[in-house]
Amino acid sequence: MADAEKIMEIEVLRYRPEQEQEPVLQTYKVPFTDDTSVLQGLQYIKDYLDGTLSFRWSCRMAICGSCGMMIDGKPKLSCKTFLRDYYPGKLRVEALAHFPVERDLMVTIKDYVKRLEGIKPYLIPKQARTLDEGEYLQTPQQRDRYMQFSACINCMLCYAACPQYGVNPKFIGSGHMALLHRYNADSRDGGSDERMGPVNEEDGVWGCTAIGYCSVVCPKQVDPAHAINMYKAKSSLNYFTRFVAPKDADK
Amino acid sequence: MSSQRPYVRSMDGWWTRNAYYMRYMAREVTAVFVAAYAVVLLVGVVRLSQGEAAFNGWLQALKSPLSLVFHLVLLATFVYHTWSWFNIMPITMPVMFVGGKRVQPRTITATGLVAAVIACAAVFFFVRGTQP
Amino acid sequence: MEVYKADVAIVGAGGAGLRAAIAVAETDPTLKIALVSKVYPMRSHTVAAEGGAAAVTRSDDSLDYHFDDTVHGGDWLCEQDVVEYFVAHAHEELVQMEHWGCPWSRTQDGHANVRAFGGMKIERTWFAADKTGFHMLHTLFQTSIKYPSIKRFDEYFCSDLMVEDGRCQGVLAIQIATGEFTLIQAKAVIIATGGAGRVFRENTNGGIVTGDGMALAYRHGVPLRDMEFMQYHPTCMPGTGLLFTEACRGEGGFLLNKDGYRYLQDYGLGPPDPSPRNKAMELGPRDRLSQAFWHEKKRGRTIEGPHGAVVNLDLRHLGAAKLHERLPLICELAEEFLGVDPVHTPIPVLPAVHYTMGGILADGKTASPLLGLYSVGECSSVGIHGANRLGSNSLTELIVFGKVAGVEAANFAKSVAISNPAALEKQAEAARSRALGVVTKSGGTERLAVLRTEMAQSMEDGCGIYRLQADMQATCDQLRELRERYKNLKIDDHSKVYNTEWLLAIELGYLLEVGEAIVYSALNRKESRGSHQRLDGFEQRDDVNFLKHSLAYYTGESAPRIELQDVKITRSKPGTRAYGAAGEKAAAEEREREEPRNG
Repeated sequence: MADAEKIMEIEVLRYRPEQEQEPVLQTYKVPFTDDTSVLQGLQYIKDYLDGTLSFRWSCRMAICGSCGMMIDGKPKLSCKTFLRDYYPGKLRVEALAHFPVERDLMVTIKDYVKRLEGIKPYLIPKQARTLDEGEYLQTPQQRDRYMQFSACINCMLCYAACPQYGVNPKFIGSGHMALLHRYNADSRDGGSDERMGPVNEEDGVWGCTAIGYCSVVCPKQVDPAHAINMYKAKSSLNYFTRFVAPKDADK
Repeated sequence: MSSQRPYVRSMDGWWTRNAYYMRYMAREVTAVFVAAYAVVLLVGVVRLSQGEAAFNGWLQALKSPLSLVFHLVLLATFVYHTWSWFNIMPITMPVMFVGGKRVQPRTITATGLVAAVIACAAVFFFVRGTQP
Repeated sequence: MEVYKADVAIVGAGGAGLRAAIAVAETDPTLKIALVSKVYPMRSHTVAAEGGAAAVTRSDDSLDYHFDDTVHGGDWLCEQDVVEYFVAHAHEELVQMEHWGCPWSRTQDGHANVRAFGGMKIERTWFAADKTGFHMLHTLFQTSIKYPSIKRFDEYFCSDLMVEDGRCQGVLAIQIATGEFTLIQAKAVIIATGGAGRVFRENTNGGIVTGDGMALAYRHGVPLRDMEFMQYHPTCMPGTGLLFTEACRGEGGFLLNKDGYRYLQDYGLGPPDPSPRNKAMELGPRDRLSQAFWHEKKRGRTIEGPHGAVVNLDLRHLGAAKLHERLPLICELAEEFLGVDPVHTPIPVLPAVHYTMGGILADGKTASPLLGLYSVGECSSVGIHGANRLGSNSLTELIVFGKVAGVEAANFAKSVAISNPAALEKQAEAARSRALGVVTKSGGTERLAVLRTEMAQSMEDGCGIYRLQADMQATCDQLRELRERYKNLKIDDHSKVYNTEWLLAIELGYLLEVGEAIVYSALNRKESRGSHQRLDGFEQRDDVNFLKHSLAYYTGESAPRIELQDVKITRSKPGTRAYGAAGEKAAAEEREREEPRNG
């Protein structure tokens, strides 16, 4: 770092529930180099300027999904967003949109996790198989049908991108639909019918108006917009076939 | 009794927050124009049922300067409506494979747009062909 | 204080903790499980593991080969009976993962595929592209949802173990969202909190890998075994230390010095084949590769980059198709962080701390010397890695021993009762005061980050790839000083809701103590073995005096007490660790010796 250090002004939306009624902006001057990420900038603030700044992070390599936040008004992972791309100027950092702010850059994700658990996101095998019989067979082509949707790191950027979720937190959202589809499309799985319940509800896929921004912000190219919109056709079909061949499948 | 006090931020004016949202709103608004044009055509059908004079009156009204401007606006919104609809169409379809390779979204969009252009051209030349 | 009554408490919800929880639930669905994690489970560092999980799979492979590779790789410091159990149960656990939906990469005919990996004689590493840990963690987390007896305590930070009547009977946890404490009573406790790589400056680890469980067990008298053995992974990103998986080399990548020369052939790993040859060149064991880098750097043959000396990981000859199919995450990391496209440009890499071979002393059934306390995963020293771990053995370790820990803990929990709930509550109150003491005191002058940075730099200087008496001693002294200065911490944040600075301060306490265990163990081991290499007169392996484990015991304020423990040797007597051509020659000679016996 032989050349003069550059300074970035990072403006953070702070919120300390024990101290203030509403979030308030606070600006920090952070030195940075060519490969300093926003996360590293926040760490600098916490380490040397203001230890009270709270934010989530862990892996630093965009695989754990902890560090999602609004950077310059867009949902991004702070570990792989770089200060150099916002220089010169002031960079605004806020907690992930559409979630209640608990503290500074930390939001409540309990409901998100609960919803995830509710879609039966585990393999419901078509056929039983003992361990002695070895692995189920699955060709690379069969695997390709669902692999893209299995790449979701639960970072919730898609929820921060979705105004329908912002307006109605009961909406299932595209992220969970991607995970639901990951299992439905897995050749080993036979649980599609069991998973239709959450899909068919009004706050299921029908809350989606195909804005598509979720897929734009997804850091792993999961394309959740595709997952959720695919299920509108399935949901409609399911609605009609219910009368043809009634099942208790969607309960 | 915890000190937690989660803060819920307002969604007012959410669609002004970035260009992507604004393009989405524009797309949605074009539906209003489609509805408007449907009304115009409906009026034409009603006039047709009321006899030749009424129908000709409707055709004349369509040729007024105000109407021409209105139709140009409609055309512009229809083009955007069509383009944005075919843009979003791939995500409504299941994941498709042809010859072992994944069908790309732009292929679906392109196919739709080409089909739309051909359909418009067909209608145009048909109508032209029926002119005396 | 809130009290939750569980049968089994598990601290840490990564691969090992989740596998253990499922095992408890399957052993007895009536047992109440408290799964305590300071982060949501999908953030656990298992998620970052890339390369794969090893198990004997091919018909030309054998349990003996996997056993031999592991014991040789561990430089004969492995508990051989435990390794035998490990290799024998690896395959069934990977099949179990597959039955739970894990998206293993496949061969054309639909079977699980295997790839070559460092130090392994035959391809046996199962993989899910280059995100194996991610897929295993998500599979385990999503599968765990099926079991109603698992109650998760997400974002609860464990600040102490409860030990009463000579038995571990619970844990004290802080609910991070509120700053309130919960006493979780449990008749058996499993620690699965991961490694301690964050003690070092440059490391592949996430911020949460701070040796929490190790420190907690250590403070309660459980020894930490073989702590001096820290694995340097040879191919990491300069600056951040992020991991470029060994699979890059398994798929055929080369390591080149500044002259574009495959330098590993100069270090007993040659001769260089154009395509990967098992246990040779770039597929040698990690300690050898990291050591080779050190030597190249000394010889001035490394490349000077903005973050120091690097070598080049050349993947260009693999071609775009293979790179995008087998190593997509690597391509993403190189492009987004370094602006390098591996299809066209070699990736600059250097060794960084990656894995903690040592940990909480555990027998072959994951039990610690403290009754009721079990440990599993990277935080544990169950005895399979010895002085150097082979890549892809640790993901398998999570599930093989995760299951063992769950079954053992379940059975133990059923056989005992909480002896004295009132005493536990008193202990909890005392522990709570201690934890609050870190944040409530005033007048401190030391900044957290300053102490942490000094610790990390000192550990890198004293416990690097090659170690010297004087440097290790300097680190010992510095850590003693840092522990003193730690008592004088200045914390900015005195709130209760999500006070992460407070928790970082507690973690620093864990790191400093685990760091001491590491460096004092290193100082005491007067030989070179595996990843503990010295250049101060102790360059050779000394099987006479040091074919033994190190056990570090907590003594409170003063330096840890180091004792030695015998290694369980069954059928593999210590030999030479030979790789490359020398290794093939040695293997051939051994086969010749065995022929008359089998003939």
